[in-house]
Order: sequence, then C-alpha cells, then structure tokens
Amino acid sequence: MSDALRFEWVRLRTVRSTYWLLGMALLLNALIALAIGLATRSEESRAFESDGLLLTGATQFVPLPFAAVFAGIIGVLSVGHEYRHGTIRPTLTALPRRSVLIAAKLAVVAAVGALLAVASVALNWLVGLLTRGEPPSLTGGATAAALVGYVAFVALWALLGAGATLLVRNVIGVIVALLVLPLIVEPLLSALSNVPALDWLTPIVRYLPFGAGSRMVATVDVSDFGGEQLGRVASGLVFAGLVALVLVPAWVLFERRDA
Amino acid sequence: MITAAGLRKRFGAKTAVDGLSFEVRPGVVTGFLGPNGAGKSTTMRLMLDLDRGEGSTRFDGRRYREIRHPLREIGTVLEAKAFHPTRRARDHLRMLAAANALPRTRVDEVLGQVGLADVARGRPRGFSLGMGQRLGLAAALLGEPHTLILDEPANGLDPQGIQWLRDFLKGFAGGGRTVFVSSHLLAEMALMADELVVVGNGRLIDAGPVSGFVGRFTTAQVLVRSPAADRLDPLLRQSGAQVERLPDGALIVAGRDAPAVGELASAHGIALHELSTRTASLEQAFLEATAGAQEFRAAAPVPTREGPR
Repeated sequence: MSDALRFEWVRLRTVRSTYWLLGMALLLNALIALAIGLATRSEESRAFESDGLLLTGATQFVPLPFAAVFAGIIGVLSVGHEYRHGTIRPTLTALPRRSVLIAAKLAVVAAVGALLAVASVALNWLVGLLTRGEPPSLTGGATAAALVGYVAFVALWALLGAGATLLVRNVIGVIVALLVLPLIVEPLLSALSNVPALDWLTPIVRYLPFGAGSRMVATVDVSDFGGEQLGRVASGLVFAGLVALVLVPAWVLFERRDA
Repeated sequence: MITAAGLRKRFGAKTAVDGLSFEVRPGVVTGFLGPNGAGKSTTMRLMLDLDRGEGSTRFDGRRYREIRHPLREIGTVLEAKAFHPTRRARDHLRMLAAANALPRTRVDEVLGQVGLADVARGRPRGFSLGMGQRLGLAAALLGEPHTLILDEPANGLDPQGIQWLRDFLKGFAGGGRTVFVSSHLLAEMALMADELVVVGNGRLIDAGPVSGFVGRFTTAQVLVRSPAADRLDPLLRQSGAQVERLPDGALIVAGRDAPAVGELASAHGIALHELSTRTASLEQAFLEATAGAQEFRAAAPVPTREGPR
C-alpha cells in the first residue's frame, strides 16, 4: 500500500493541472473572503455567521462551491488521466493489485481535498485579518462545526470525482454530470416543490445529495431551520451516501473490467 | 520461464484469443508473430492480468498479480505513447519507480541507456513515436527485470533504432534472460528472434525455433541450370520430384534436395551449370501458415472489433 501511495503522490505532483486547480480554488475563495471582509469592516455589520461565510468562501449559499469544483476535478483527473492517456496499463503493470491502487488514489485525493479546505480557510482567515484589522473568529457560533463540515465536504467531493470517473471512464461526461446535477437539476426540483401541485416533492428535496452536502458547511446552527431541513450530520451522511453509491459499483467494476 | 495455458478472450461475438498455450524460455529471444488483428496485444494483456479472460499465465510459477514488485522482474511495453503529454519524461519514470520502491538513480540510468538523457526534462507531447518507444522501453528496464514483454517495439523506430533494439534484445537474452516480443513484421522477426510463437485468428499456429517454422511450412526448392535441361526434366519427374520450368530454361525442383538432383544428373552424364537450394523466406512461411486464418476472417462477416486501445 505504501508503494501505491508513493506512486499516487508523485503522479499528482507531476502534472501541472494539480497546481492550477489548487491555485484557482485558493484564489477564488480568497476573493470571496476579500469581498466579505470589505463589506463587514464595521463591527456592527458583523456576526459569527459572517466569519463563517468569510472563512468557507460562502460555501453554504453556493450550489457548487469553488473548493468542491476544483477538488472534484482533481479527483476526476486522478482516474481520468490514466484512461485518457492510456497510462492505466503501465500503472497496473507496476501495481497489479487493483484494490490497492484504488485505495491509494482515493486516500490521496481525499487527503488533498481536506488539505485544500484547511489551506483555503487559513488563507481566507488572513484575508479577513487584513481587511478588517482583526482576526475572524474560528470558534464563534456554529463556525467551528461549519469548518469541520467544510473539510469533510471538500474531501468527499474529491472522492466523488474519482469514483464517478472510475465508474464511467469518461472525463467530459463526469464533469458535465457534476456541474448539471447540483447547478440545474437540484435547484429545479427545489423550485418545483414550491408549486402547490408538486408539493409532494418537498420531503424528497430534503434528501437531495448536493444540497445536503452544502448544508454540512452551514454557518448557523442547522437545527434552527426547524423540521424543514436535515441537520448537519444527517446532511453529511446523505452526501457521503451518494459518494458511497458511486464508489462501490465503481470499485467492483474496476476489479472485473479490462484495464 | 513464462507458461501461458489456455488463454481465451472474447469481445462480444468475436473470440480474439482462442485457447492459446505456449512457453517462453529464458536465454533466447522469442518472437510473437501474427498478422494484425491476430490477438497478439490481447494475449499480452491477458498475460499481464490487464484484461480479464480465461486461462492463466505463470511467470516462474506465479500469476502476474501475485508478484510484489513486478517491475523488478518483468518489464513491459504495450503501447508506444502511454504517457501523460505534459508529465516530464523523468517524472514519468520517477512515478513508476516509486510504485515499486526503486531507487531514483535508476531513472537517469535507464534514460541514458535508451538514449533519452538529453530530453529527460522534456514532455512527451513533443516526442516522436520512436522517442515514445524509447521512453516506454526505459520504463520497462527501470527495475532491472529478467523478463521483457514488448508489443511491437520496433514501430516508429528509425533503421538505426531498430538495429539498436535488435542488438539490445539479443544481448539481453544472451545473458540468460527472457524476451517475448511481438511483431507483424516478419523480416524483423527473422533477424531478431530465435524462437517463434505464431498466431493467426487467436489460435496457435506454430511454436518453436525460427528455422523449424520455415522448414515446416515451406518445402525447400532446388534451382538447376543445365544445357541438357530437356533430358533432365523427365528424369526428375520419374524420380518423383515436381519440376517447374522457368522461361530462361532453368528448372525449379521440389521434393528432391540438391545432392539428389546432382547425383541423378551425374548418373546420366548430364552437365550442370548451376545447382542451388532456395530456402523459403520467413515471409513465405508466415503467409502459408496464416493463410487459413486470414481466409476464415475474410469469409466470415463477423464484426472484427479490436480490443479497447
């Protein structure tokens, strides 16, 4: 396993896209922090909630947050590059035990996703400090819980990207699905559930996985939402369930398919 | 020693590899010969546990996936350009070295060995097919393996490159190591291989020494020139030989070897101006051996889907 992890680590560090994707995620989140920081320079305009939004790049309110997109694409490419450029065969001749290779790929992209979240929070904290002249609180209100949720959320996105690509082995198809589902399908279902004739959709909307994922990063206590929405942990389990639903068949198929 | 037993692989309706069994011995270069689409690449992928099919291949008794650090034992080149286009050549090799706990120093050693030291920091996007083959070979040599499995390694190499490859493989096998190299280029195999495994349409056609293959699948002919060809011709026919007459008067004799023809002529006092044996080329032997397989393919309109590339 350690050989496979070392392989995967070198693989990730020796493609330029990794640096672009991580850099873009950090930069775009820092820009959101800059905007929020500038808007909340006066103390009365500030709440613990704004601290949480600043640190997490307002992830809660974005159907497809930057960190999720870029970590997801890093996951997609960790598998997709192997198929697009035919390196899966040299890779498997070096590491013929397929489960070990998948485990290593998933472990590395999840770790990179988690580290990306941590680094982005650190950078945004610095941006907050510079714009406001005082450090954003990491622990006030629901912020600490939101930050933990954020790290898990970004890591899950990286796993989702890798798993979905392993399943369908088509980079473009996976990226389209990962954009269309959270950006179009889920918001559409949410909107339709407000139509009286379609109110039977309402209980389903609570379990829409991408929306649930974003609620992991809610900067207010989610129990405040009342019975309308799932709590933070339950939301996390729904999103993790989606990831598992993709990963399990992908893993089984990868063991059985021709490389 | 490689032992393949009962390899079989279907792609939908087409059977790409049909019950193939053979052995590859150390110390010689074994050529894996067959027309395009005969199932050579699929066979190699089956051997390496890349494709899922029936049968098993043992490398000194073990399946490929049971080998802990396969690059240290078996080097493979399956496709000429299986690289990320912007990952530097050296990084590609460092990545594979990491996968099998090989020292980094090996990376620069193999790059030098295949003549790519100058482009170690280059990106494969700009590589020619020949450079891609060399980088693939560098990866195969990374773990100082005792076995090489190469799929059409001469593709895209210039004549000097082919010469170099041939010498390299001969030297590699000469040291008691094992080489299994596929090609549809017969002339190339004739120069490179000592032993052959010949396939057509996924089936084994012949296995054994190159010379034996030529002998089995063609009959050697004798060319005779004589001022008394008209007398010699019926005598040869009476002795049971098949005789063909060339426009310039020379006789092509099949079924009798040169000494027999010479003695027959001598016994009848016939002078000979030329008496020579014409050994059929590997090319001819190959065409004869695989003719049936090709005809079958041309006659049956089955979809001939290649394996996923």
